[in-house]
Amino acid sequence: MDRAAIVETNLRRRLSEGDLPSVAAGAGLSGPEAVGLYRAQCLSRALDLESRAMQAAGQGFYTIGSSGHEGMAAVAHALRPTDPAFLHYRDAAFQIARSAQVPGQSALWDMLLSFSCSSEDPISGGRHKVVGSKALNIPPQTSTIASHLPKAVGAAYGIAAAARHAPEHECFERDAIVMCSFGDASANHSTAQGAFNTAGWSSYQSAPLPLLFVCEDNGIGISTKTPQGWIEASFRARPGLKYFACDGVDLYDTYTTARATADYVRTRRKPAILHVKTVRLYGHAGADVATTYLSKAEVEAQEARDPLIRSAALLSASGALSTTEALDIYEKTRARVARAAAEAVTRPRLQTATDVMASLIPPARACAPTNGPSDEARTKVFGSDLRSQSEPQPMSRLINWALHDLMLEHREIVLMGEDVGRKGGVYGVTQKLSQRFGPDRVIDTLLDEQSILGLGIGMAHNGFVPIPEIQFLAYLHNAEDQLRGEAATLPFFSNGQYTNPMVVRIAGLGYQKGFGGHFHNDNSVAVLRDIPGLILACPSNGADAVGMLRECVRLAREEQRLVVFLEPIALYPMRDLQEPGDGGWMRNYPAPGTSVPFGEVGQSGKGTELAIVTFGNGTYLSHQAKAKLGGGVRIVDLRWLNPLPVEAMIEAVRPCKRILVVDETRATGGVSEAVITALTEAGLPATRLAAEDSFIATGPAYGATMPSRDTILAAAAEVMA
Amino acid sequence: MKTAVLICPGRGTYNRAELGTLARTFPDPALMARFDAARRETGRETLTELDGAARFSQAKHGRGDAAAGLIYAATYGDMLNLSEEIEVVAVTGNSMGWYTTLAAAGAVTPEVGFDITTTMGAMMQDNGQGGQTLYPHMGEVWLPDPTAKQRLMDLVAEVSNRPNHVLALSIDLGGTLVLAGNEAGLAAFEAEVAPHDRFPMRLPAHAGFHSPLVQTVSDAALAHFSPDLFGQPNLPMIDGRGQTWWPGATDTKALWDYTFDHQVTRPYDFTRAIAVAAREFAPDLFIVTGPGTTLGGAVAQSLILTNWSGLTSKAAFQSRQAANPILISMGREEQRGLVTKGP
Repeated sequence: MDRAAIVETNLRRRLSEGDLPSVAAGAGLSGPEAVGLYRAQCLSRALDLESRAMQAAGQGFYTIGSSGHEGMAAVAHALRPTDPAFLHYRDAAFQIARSAQVPGQSALWDMLLSFSCSSEDPISGGRHKVVGSKALNIPPQTSTIASHLPKAVGAAYGIAAAARHAPEHECFERDAIVMCSFGDASANHSTAQGAFNTAGWSSYQSAPLPLLFVCEDNGIGISTKTPQGWIEASFRARPGLKYFACDGVDLYDTYTTARATADYVRTRRKPAILHVKTVRLYGHAGADVATTYLSKAEVEAQEARDPLIRSAALLSASGALSTTEALDIYEKTRARVARAAAEAVTRPRLQTATDVMASLIPPARACAPTNGPSDEARTKVFGSDLRSQSEPQPMSRLINWALHDLMLEHREIVLMGEDVGRKGGVYGVTQKLSQRFGPDRVIDTLLDEQSILGLGIGMAHNGFVPIPEIQFLAYLHNAEDQLRGEAATLPFFSNGQYTNPMVVRIAGLGYQKGFGGHFHNDNSVAVLRDIPGLILACPSNGADAVGMLRECVRLAREEQRLVVFLEPIALYPMRDLQEPGDGGWMRNYPAPGTSVPFGEVGQSGKGTELAIVTFGNGTYLSHQAKAKLGGGVRIVDLRWLNPLPVEAMIEAVRPCKRILVVDETRATGGVSEAVITALTEAGLPATRLAAEDSFIATGPAYGATMPSRDTILAAAAEVMA
Repeated sequence: MKTAVLICPGRGTYNRAELGTLARTFPDPALMARFDAARRETGRETLTELDGAARFSQAKHGRGDAAAGLIYAATYGDMLNLSEEIEVVAVTGNSMGWYTTLAAAGAVTPEVGFDITTTMGAMMQDNGQGGQTLYPHMGEVWLPDPTAKQRLMDLVAEVSNRPNHVLALSIDLGGTLVLAGNEAGLAAFEAEVAPHDRFPMRLPAHAGFHSPLVQTVSDAALAHFSPDLFGQPNLPMIDGRGQTWWPGATDTKALWDYTFDHQVTRPYDFTRAIAVAAREFAPDLFIVTGPGTTLGGAVAQSLILTNWSGLTSKAAFQSRQAANPILISMGREEQRGLVTKGP
C-alpha cells in the first residue's frame, strides 16, 4: 500500500473515530474563516490525490504535491489578493485560499487542467504545470532551485520605486507587498542566498522593500535531510531581514503569525522571513518512495502531523466544526474533484510545435505615443554636450547620449548595475546619468549579477523598462539562468499574460589591448543564442549602437521583448580605422527618432567578388582589411545575433561570388556555426574564419586566438584564389 | 443517485401558462399557508388566490411583489419535490433567483426568503428607477460570438456617455444581454440595434435591477433587513459574480451585504455562475426549478460558452438532451418526471 493511501486511510479513520490530537482552541480566526481555510486544505489534498490517479490513468502529467503544506492556505488568508505572490511548487493550498478572495474563480478546475496539460489551462495554456494565475496576481512558477527569489526582490523594489516614478504599465498596488515562498532545501541554493543577502543589504541601508519571504520547512529535500534547526539558525539574525516562525500544521498559529509578519512588511516597508514548519507527506513526487531513505518510524512521525487531522482537531476544539462535519467536507471534496477530473481530462491538449511555441514571444502592448524629448528638455539635460553632438564621437559616448535621450523620453526606464551610477560605468558609458536622472533611476547595485538581473525582471513585472548592465560578459555566466530559466520563460509559462521586457546591456567580447584576459574579454555568446524568444543585438560602430539601442528599447517597451545588447568593449573608445588620427571609426550622433530596425543587416560596399559576413569587432577588422582588398568586397554586418537575420543576410550576400564569415567567437558554439549552416541551407557555400576554442590571454597575446586584420586578409586571399 | 446543481429562475417565468402551478406542484400546504398569511398581513392578495385566479392578469400577476412571490414559491416547492435520488451539490440562481437560492440552500428560512423576495419585488415596483431590455449576442444556432457581444458592450458604453442617458449591463444571461437604463438610454440602444425576432425586447414592469438606478432600493433593503436573518447555508451557493458561499465558511454579514448591495446595484453574471457551477461542481444534471421554461436556454447557452462537456452549439446540446439530458427544466412536464418524487 503506498503512503498516500495510508495517509488517507488514517485521516478517514481518525476523523470518523474522533481520534484527534489534544489541542487547545485556536484564536485569531472566526469560525467561518477557519472552516473556509480547512476547505481549501481539503481541496489541495484532494487535488494531490487526484493528480496521482490521473497519472496512473495516463491522463495526468504532474504529481509533485502540496500534501503537508496545506497550512499555506492560512498564509494566503493573511495577505491580499493584490499582493503579488511568487510561489513554491507546493503551494496549491495558497492559490486555492487566495481564489476565495476574488469572486468568480474556479481554482479546482484550473488546477485539474494544469495536471492534464490542457491547452485550456488558464495560466500556461497547457505548456507546463505551474502554480499561477493572472487574476490572483500569482506569476507562474515552477522553479525547484529558488531561481524566482531574485525577481521577487526586484518586484518589491519596483513597488516602492513606482511611488516615485510611476511607469505607464504599473500593475501592482502601491501598498502591496511581494510574497515569495520556497522550500527549506532550496533556501540553501546560492541564488536564494543571494536574494536574501540583497534584500538585507537593501533594507540595511533603508531602501523600502516590502518583501515577505516564506520558507516552507518540511525538513527534507528529496532525500537529504535539512539539519535540525538549520533554517532558524541561519535566518534568525540576518541583518535587514526580520525573522518570524510558526507551526505550519496549525492553521491558527500560521494565520496569526503570517498576519503579523505581513503587517510588519506592509507598514515598515521592510523585508521579513516567515519560517513555516511543515511536513512532507508521501515523498517528493509520485515516483519517490520516502521509505527507501527514511525509516518507517520517521515517515510515520511525519504522517502523524498531517495538517488536515490537526485542523480538524483545532476546528473541533474551537467550536467551528464537528469532526463529523470535517470528514463530510473531506469526502464531498474528494467526490467533487473526481467528478470534475473526469471532465478535465477530456479537454484538448497542445499538439504541434506551433501550439507549444505560440507564447514564446509575448504580445505587443499599447503604449502612449511620444514625440520624443523636447528641445528644451534636451538642452537642459545635455548642457554643453549638445554642441558636441554635431561632431563625430566614439561609441561609448554615443551610447551614453542615446541612454540620455531614451531616459528623457521614457520615464519607466531604469538602469541598474555595478558602478553604473556615481562612477558612470567602468568605461564611462553611463556617465552623468545618475546626476541627471537621480539615483533611483540609475541604481548602483551590490556585486551580484543574479540580483542585478532579478532586479530588472522584478521591476519589469511592475511596468518598468529596466536596462540592467552586466559589467563584463564573463560575469553573465554565473547569472545566466535568470535570463534562461526565468525572464525568457515567463511569457511561455503564462501564455503571454505575464512579461518582463527589458534590455540587458553587457559589455563584452575581446580585443582590449593587453587588459583583462578572459574575465574582461570573454568571446562566447553561445548561452545567449539558444534561448528561445531572446533577442541578442551587437553593434559594431557608434551610430549603429544608437539606432539599435533605440530599437531594442522599442522592442522591450512596445513588444515586451527580452533583449540583450552586447557592446564590444574594444570598440567603445575606438576612434581610428586605418591610421592613428584618421577618425575613421567615429560617428555622428544619429538624429533623435531614427533607429536601426530589428533584423536589418548593415552593408558596406557593393562589391560582388567577396562578401564578408561578420559582426562586432569583426566588422571593424574587416573594414581595415577591405582597404587592401579593393572595391570588389562588401561587408555585411549581422548586427542581430539571435535570431539571426537570415533572410536579410542572404539577400545581401547573394550577388557575391564568394563568402567569408569572420567570427570573433569560438569555432565551437560560435556565431559562425549558425551563419554557415544558414548559408549552406540556402545553397551558398562559404568559408569561415573563427576564433580558436580557447580562453583569452592577458598581455601581448590578447588577440592571438581571434581573427585579425591580417588573418582576414589571408583568409580572403585564399577564398579568392 | 445523480448529482445536480439547482438553478432558481428570475422574474418573468410565471405567465399565463403557469397559472395554477402552485396548486399542482407545491408540496407543503402548511408552508403555503404561512406564505399566504404573510401576504394577507401586508394587505396583499395571497399566492393561493393569485395562482387560483380564473385568468392571468399582467396588472395583477405581473406586479413585482406578486410575480416574485409566485416564482419564489414555485421554485422552492420544486426543490422540496426533488427525488431522493438527486443529490444537490450546489444552488445558484438568476437575478431575483438569488433570493430563492438563499432559502433553497438554507442560508435563510423559507419564510424569510419569501419576505425578502416579496419585499424586494415591491420595492423594485414602487421605488426602482429605469427599466430593462434584452438583446441577444448568440445567433440561432448558439455559437459563441465574442465579437458580437463586444460590439453590444461597446454600444452600451457609447450610449451611456451621452448626456442624460443611463445604460449599463444588468445581467450577463448566457447568449443574451439584459440591459438596465433610463428611458433615454434604453430607447437609444433599441434604436441602434437591428431588430429581429422579439428583440430588442423591453421587459414590462421591471426596474433597472442590478444597476445604480436602483440604489435607493439597495439602501432601503439594507436598512429594512437585519443581518441576523442570515445563517450558514447547508449547501454551497454560487452568486451573481461566480463566488461560492460554502456551508460553515460563510461570513453571514458579508452575505447580507452582498445580497442587498452589490447584487442589487451591480451587474449579475449568470453566465459566470453557471460556468463555476459546472467547473467546480461538475454535476450530472443542471436542474432549473420553478415555473416556466425560459431560463433553460440561457443555462444551455452558458454551458456552451463554458465549452462544458462537449456542448459546443445548439445542435450538440439538443443531441445531448435527446440521448442523456444534462439540463432538466422542471417547468417542462416531460423532464420534470425525471427528477421528482411527486407532482
